[in-house]
Amino acid sequence: MKMTAKTLLPGRRRIGCLAAVFAAVTAPAAAEDAAKIRFFEERVRPVLAANCLQCHNDQAKMSGLSLASREAAMLGGSRGSAVIPGQAEESLLVQAIERAGELKMPPAGPLPADDAAALAEWVRQGAAWASAPSRPRATADHWAFQPVRRPEPPPLRDASRARNAIDHFIQAKLEEKGIAPSPEADRRTLIRRLSLDLTGLPPTREEAAAFLEDRAPGAYERAVERLLASPHYGERWGRRWLDIARYADSNGYSIDGDRSIWRYRDWVIDALNRDMPFDRFVIEQIAGDLLPEPTEAQLIATGFHRNTMINGEGGIDYEQYRVEAVVDRVNTTGAAFLGLTVGCARCHDHKFDPISQREFYRLYSFFNNIDELGGNIPDGEGPAFKMQPLLEFGKPEDFARRKAVEQQIEALEAELLQYQKTIEQDWQSRFELSGDSVEERIPAILETPIEARATIDRNLLSRFFSKKDPAWKARLDGIRALRGALPKLESTLVMRELPQPRESYIHVQGDFTRKGDAVGPGTLAVLPPLPESDSPNRRDLPNRLDLARWLVSAENPMTPRVTINRLWQRYFGAGIVETENDFGSQGAAPSHPELLDWLASEFVRRGWSLKAMHRLITASATYRQSAAARPEAAAADPANRLLARQNRLRLEAEIIRDAGLTVSGLLAPVIGGPSVFPPQPAGAGGFTQVDREWKTSAGADRYRRGMYTFFRRSAAYPGLALFDAPNAQASTTRRNRSNTPLQALTLLNDEAQTEFAASLAKRVLASADSRGERIRFAFEICLARPPREDEQQRMSQYLARMTDEFASEGEFASEGGSAAGSPQEAAWLAASRVMLNLDEFVTRQ
Amino acid sequence: MNMEKKLLQQTTRRQLFENCSIGVGKAALTSLFVGDKLFASPDQGLHHAPRAKNVIYLFMAGAPSQFELWERKPELQKLNGETLPPSLLEGKRFAFMDAFVKSPPKLLGTRREFRRHGESGQWVSECLPHTAQVVDDLAFVRSAHTENFNHAPAKIMMNTGTPIFGRPSMGAWVSYGIGSEAKDLPGFVVLQSGPRGPRGGAMNWASGFLPTSHQGIPFLSGGAPILNMSSPEGFDAGRQAAAIDAVHDLNRMNLERYGDPEIETRIAAYEMAHRMQTSGPELIDFSTESRATLEMYGAKPGEKSFANNCLLARRLVERGVRFVQLYHSSWDHHGGPGENLDENLDEVCLAADRGCAALIRDLKQRGLLEETLVVWGGEFGRTPMGEQRDTLGRNHHIDAFTMWFAGGGVKPGQSIGETDEIGFSPVKDPVHVHDIQATILHLLGIDHEKLTFRFRGRDFRLTDVGGKVIGKLLA
Repeated sequence: MKMTAKTLLPGRRRIGCLAAVFAAVTAPAAAEDAAKIRFFEERVRPVLAANCLQCHNDQAKMSGLSLASREAAMLGGSRGSAVIPGQAEESLLVQAIERAGELKMPPAGPLPADDAAALAEWVRQGAAWASAPSRPRATADHWAFQPVRRPEPPPLRDASRARNAIDHFIQAKLEEKGIAPSPEADRRTLIRRLSLDLTGLPPTREEAAAFLEDRAPGAYERAVERLLASPHYGERWGRRWLDIARYADSNGYSIDGDRSIWRYRDWVIDALNRDMPFDRFVIEQIAGDLLPEPTEAQLIATGFHRNTMINGEGGIDYEQYRVEAVVDRVNTTGAAFLGLTVGCARCHDHKFDPISQREFYRLYSFFNNIDELGGNIPDGEGPAFKMQPLLEFGKPEDFARRKAVEQQIEALEAELLQYQKTIEQDWQSRFELSGDSVEERIPAILETPIEARATIDRNLLSRFFSKKDPAWKARLDGIRALRGALPKLESTLVMRELPQPRESYIHVQGDFTRKGDAVGPGTLAVLPPLPESDSPNRRDLPNRLDLARWLVSAENPMTPRVTINRLWQRYFGAGIVETENDFGSQGAAPSHPELLDWLASEFVRRGWSLKAMHRLITASATYRQSAAARPEAAAADPANRLLARQNRLRLEAEIIRDAGLTVSGLLAPVIGGPSVFPPQPAGAGGFTQVDREWKTSAGADRYRRGMYTFFRRSAAYPGLALFDAPNAQASTTRRNRSNTPLQALTLLNDEAQTEFAASLAKRVLASADSRGERIRFAFEICLARPPREDEQQRMSQYLARMTDEFASEGEFASEGGSAAGSPQEAAWLAASRVMLNLDEFVTRQ
Repeated sequence: MNMEKKLLQQTTRRQLFENCSIGVGKAALTSLFVGDKLFASPDQGLHHAPRAKNVIYLFMAGAPSQFELWERKPELQKLNGETLPPSLLEGKRFAFMDAFVKSPPKLLGTRREFRRHGESGQWVSECLPHTAQVVDDLAFVRSAHTENFNHAPAKIMMNTGTPIFGRPSMGAWVSYGIGSEAKDLPGFVVLQSGPRGPRGGAMNWASGFLPTSHQGIPFLSGGAPILNMSSPEGFDAGRQAAAIDAVHDLNRMNLERYGDPEIETRIAAYEMAHRMQTSGPELIDFSTESRATLEMYGAKPGEKSFANNCLLARRLVERGVRFVQLYHSSWDHHGGPGENLDENLDEVCLAADRGCAALIRDLKQRGLLEETLVVWGGEFGRTPMGEQRDTLGRNHHIDAFTMWFAGGGVKPGQSIGETDEIGFSPVKDPVHVHDIQATILHLLGIDHEKLTFRFRGRDFRLTDVGGKVIGKLLA
């Protein structure tokens, strides 16, 4: 049985739906006689599918009739009920296929006699209809909807290898299978693992050495504390949150113009660095603007749900794309906090989880009241207008100056309108059809009252006057010049509630042009009810702040489980619930349900402190295990779900860049600020509608961490996109980890990589005098370990060959490579390139 | 335990592929570039015997006007200047709608001459004299319709089966389903010409939730076709090989210690990257093409042109690339400056016409047309009504437009579907975008209902919940 996708934008006749493919799930009770069901499945359903459903499905509903379910068939269409169970002769369906009356179906010709007889027999016997042989629909007793419990860590037969409660849960399962956990990884691996996991940067040689030399008890914990206190921690984990927040620096869709919302990105980094309790973190992002006397930071935080795309294409229906943004907020909220595929209920009740379409629009109505572009707003307004609501930054005099210019513009526009009225009278009286098609419409436009004209007509007329009337043109140019000179204020996208909420209604089949019942704000019935609110902004209806508090309320089991599961996923490559964004009935069952609940309860118990959870997980023996393959364990657990060892994880896109910057010594460790433009291969941006210039940043901004690279949705920075950075079209809760030749080409040949290699070569050459020592140094800064014997030999051999080659080619020094001053430097550039291309370099082991 | 899990158990080498067993169908395990084949031989296809091996999709970005190119509508000519019956507009939504609402649009006859061509006697306008000569090899669908009237969502619809951004594109689905024969090139290549890139950019060839290795790879014009295909300065072929050898050996040493199959995959990826670097220059070197061939396409080496891209497309399918998509902009003839139905339309026709015809001829004379499906079309059509901008142009129209198909498995020299007398709506054999997608997959040996990928609790497919193979199109 196939689940099917759904056309979400308001399409037209063919909005798809599951029931088109198989029958709806609302069948008679399971007590149906099995033989009747078998008869239906074998003899009736195929006949309906082959001959009737093409026109009589839930979408096409030719003559109002759907035969996609028993109910629909009984309900019938414009001619009345099609099936009356038990009464074949009275049933229109049977009459039509027997071609007894006026209506003869199917139109192409009579059914084979045995098929027709089967249908008649089926109706006669009561029209039994089997539920779609689908997976069971989740009900309120599905595990994920249950309150979070706090199970006791299970006892172990051999507890000597457990460091904390996590290990009890993990090792108990391993003991069941008779698999021993792996030994702890060596200290060099551990310090690199910790540094990459907590800050996204490899340890410097000094940091690694300090850890290795710290033999006192608590060295490991001290390393963890140092890393958690680093401002790079907020960058590392902030970027992961930004995946969920679908953060990008452009508006998406077709025009994909720039937007300024980096202050939201910086807010995330800062909040994590300060270890803002996660419940607070959620509340400020969802509803910071509704908090009493919100601070600037709390307003900036609401950028979370302004990371939705904005369509700047001409001729669009703004309302359609506003609706898309609101829907995206619902879907993102579902994925980010609830771990539910709420979006499935946009067009119909969720087929597998207890989420009704009405509930979808109840959630929708929380996000439907933003004072943003939508409705019947004409074309031709400036781009800044399309970005509202904005929080602007500037000195009071900047605001004052802008106000003054705006007033000037307003005055001039009023003058222009006056002037237009006079010349229009003039034109109306003397207008003659010139036969020029451009001007053909002008008289008609002039007859329309000025206020009632369509934008396109206003533009046409404006062009006309500009051509014919120099005075008009001069005035218009004056206004345009002033507009261009409006002082530009920095800004960030925020949420702002309309004074009067918009009406929310169910969109029939997901089409916003088809209004269903009106709905008010509310949450999912299967989860605990909305808590009473003490918000001073509270009106009669619950608002976003109530929703935010509900998401992190003590009774809501979803948010802590989903959050902690995602945290786990970052450390081990997969969550305890592998389908991290689907805790519903179609998702995977948790591999360690008790551990998940224990961690979730611990999270809440520790005041929603993320850093506390990082400490807990990294302290576990489970985390500290070696990642070396265990063929004997793999036989029983090929995907390593039981975690008899750590997993090797390829670094994320940004972190690969960060690692290169770190080992080359080039990293500019500035936190935050506007996004930057590191070098990108020529032509990379040429495949979008608007080929925008990529002005490569100069100075320190050339060497910023990958997360600060300007992210254009329609033309992502190639170095990021190729390594699976999300496309920011929708919330991403897990990245792929692909492994492709294009990645190899990037690491081998990209300009930035060569620059890293050259700089790394210089460091290596300066570090020591002998080849052996230099190789050792290179391995230590790149991999936090010395080379092994075979590696030392291979690298030495490569260096020898390169040195010889470059030496024999006197020209290289002058013509070549960014750093190559001597054959030795050239050879080390080559060797550094090899280091940066090692699988181990781009992997957390 | 699902099928994927079982498969994973058998193939521990790939056990951590994409790091998640859920949603990794067995096709995903044929990491495109690694060239594994888990499937039966290509002759058998994924679900049935394929009629075509490769696809060249000529995407006319911006939406060409069917009324100026393909659709001869005498009745529309007669009604030129008449107001469109309001009943036809009821319940319809258009781009730039406020103009239509405030003043009822008038029908617009074309100023272009039409003639019948070929033995099949198909109507083609004077705009496309070259294509007119190959009509006997083409099958027209004159009743295509789609759902979204803005460029970017409509393009995304045509490419991914839904107007929602971020889903896998057709080329990615095909690559995911049947991989590619190309040993040293990506299986899905995107070429671009014309004044600007397609709206929606990379979303048009994205891999969505499919493994990233299936995304379309945009080729650059001039120089190396793939980003970072050239080694850094100072690294000739020999030195690049030596570097890759060193990386290879060191990776292998780590593989012996860790036993992680991902390391092996990375080793293979570097080998493939190396092959791509060596074969890339040869791919774009047109010096091996005869003068007659260059002349036929109107190709000029080094130029960023549709003609060059057509020739390159042939060279790509010759090398086993599965899916080549050419975007040519801009066909968006609303009537405004630079987008009139007169000389501006001429310009884009001039740029596109010869390459299309040459591609068909060239493929045919090399015996490649039988195994290559060629598709021509935009994201929607244009209105039979005029749109008054600086000149009279045409607005976006989703109810009816024209596409053509040629080559592998297509019955040539025919027209499928008909529209009413003014070309507003299909009256016979309407063909939805999903039908087109289903048909393309069908010709490649793929059942569009069976090629699915589980994501967020649902099995997704290219054709959403629709799609019917266009039976009449098949040879």
